[in-house]
Amino acid sequence: MFVARRMQKNPVTMSPATSLYEAQEMMRARRILQIPVTSEDGRLVGILSDRDIRGTVLPVGMIPGFTAEEAEKFLKNTPVERVMTRKVITATLTDTLEDAIGLLLNYKINSLPVVDDENRVVGIISRTNVLEAFIEVTGMGVVSSRLDVVVPDKPGALAQLVGIISSFQVNITSVLTTGHLESGAMTNFLRIATLNVGPIRKAIEEAGFELLDPSKFLSR
Amino acid sequence: MKRLGIVYHPDYLLHVPPFEHPESPERLQAVMERLEKAKLLEKTAQITPEFADEGDVLAVHDRKYLDQLEKACRRGDMTLDAGDTYLCRHSYNISLLSAGGAIAGAKAVAEGSLDRVFCAIRPPGHHASRDVGMGFCLLNNVAVAAKYLQARFDVGKILIVDWDVHHGNGTQSVFLEDPSVFFFSVHEHPTFIYPGTGRRWEIGKGKGEGATLNAPMAPGSGDDEYRVVFDQVLTPAVERFRPEFVLVSAGFDAHADDPLADIRLSYEGYRYMTRAVIGLAERFCGGKLVSVLEGGYEISSLTNCIEIHVREMLEE
Repeated sequence: MFVARRMQKNPVTMSPATSLYEAQEMMRARRILQIPVTSEDGRLVGILSDRDIRGTVLPVGMIPGFTAEEAEKFLKNTPVERVMTRKVITATLTDTLEDAIGLLLNYKINSLPVVDDENRVVGIISRTNVLEAFIEVTGMGVVSSRLDVVVPDKPGALAQLVGIISSFQVNITSVLTTGHLESGAMTNFLRIATLNVGPIRKAIEEAGFELLDPSKFLSR
Repeated sequence: MKRLGIVYHPDYLLHVPPFEHPESPERLQAVMERLEKAKLLEKTAQITPEFADEGDVLAVHDRKYLDQLEKACRRGDMTLDAGDTYLCRHSYNISLLSAGGAIAGAKAVAEGSLDRVFCAIRPPGHHASRDVGMGFCLLNNVAVAAKYLQARFDVGKILIVDWDVHHGNGTQSVFLEDPSVFFFSVHEHPTFIYPGTGRRWEIGKGKGEGATLNAPMAPGSGDDEYRVVFDQVLTPAVERFRPEFVLVSAGFDAHADDPLADIRLSYEGYRYMTRAVIGLAERFCGGKLVSVLEGGYEISSLTNCIEIHVREMLEE
């Protein structure tokens, strides 16, 4: 999955000469926390986050007698290029969603402008978009039941499990795999499009797979 | 002793699965045999329902869906959309009779000829939405009964309590934007069970915001957790809503012995919930209460639960 499928297209951008006051208004109006800064030909020159604005106003606000009016004036007179981050961490159109998640995690940032070969901003991908993708992967919102199956970490094990489920003519709507508590096994979280899980559970257990009981995850 | 009615029709057994299936005619046969053996049929009024009027069904479901359902049964389709919701040649008619059962119960109580009614009907209904049947449900019986009460008996505000172990997604969708029907569902947490909806933040939409309330329960929950939800979540909400009529989507699959879920209610838990809805109906609705059967697939716990449920409603 490439970032292009998950990014927000036509993102809000602004010029380096935009005032901090305007930038703040744009963030409030659109409920966003970062705005890429672009030159006249659309190339990325920086990024401004809401924290950059707060970090600028805060020290000034310590000056005795500094009023709200003066703070506003200060924001209106300060262009974003004075406080923006110039070394922007970006994603390219050929990056995958995993690349984007890696960058967001490694640099502890909230969003990545997505740029083309000419460094023009074509999109932005944020942690929110990653969460949306994750929700889709979990199958939340699709009418289905869930099975938590421990599968031995060896070739063919998952195929056997899927074979059992398909023998019931039941569709699998999502599969998630995580490491199990012990080595040599994986836990598979499957969502299947049926209410009638009883017989399927039974068949899976009879084939020697362990089903996790979700009620045991909670220490009561 | 209260004047209690039991809705049942022998034709409910004609909705027959084409393959092994938990929602079987045997469920209802066992329930009726138990009520007879427990001498509860002689203490109650037997109501024989009729097919629901099309107009009453169309208040909930789209014409297109009804046509699709009728055609599928006539063609001899075995399932609806290749899912686990089976059909036989009689299913369309019997689903009309099932909705008609909920209507007959609602009518008897609304007219005042009976105090309370338990509707021993099938197929169940709470997963069926306006234009889709699913989860063994074809027509949404409880929703049809609610709309019927509003249209024919001028009832204003209705409370629907859905304690089936699965979220009543169909009923919720029908009344999502309707402020006159308060839908409450307590069910196993949707991450672990079908249909995967009924989360805390699903509270209704638009004008209906605040008239939907979901209580997702962690797997392994039992009587104590349910008691807290009924006392501290449902009751205050109902006090604010002040309904005129109480309908119950009574599923008995939250019992510990039911194989389809991980909730561990005991018989006392079901007794408690029955008393809770009776209490709410007495406080706000002059006692008007109709309970409609939904799920419950383990015959022994199903029949025991229903005997308790009916005895509590009868107040011998």
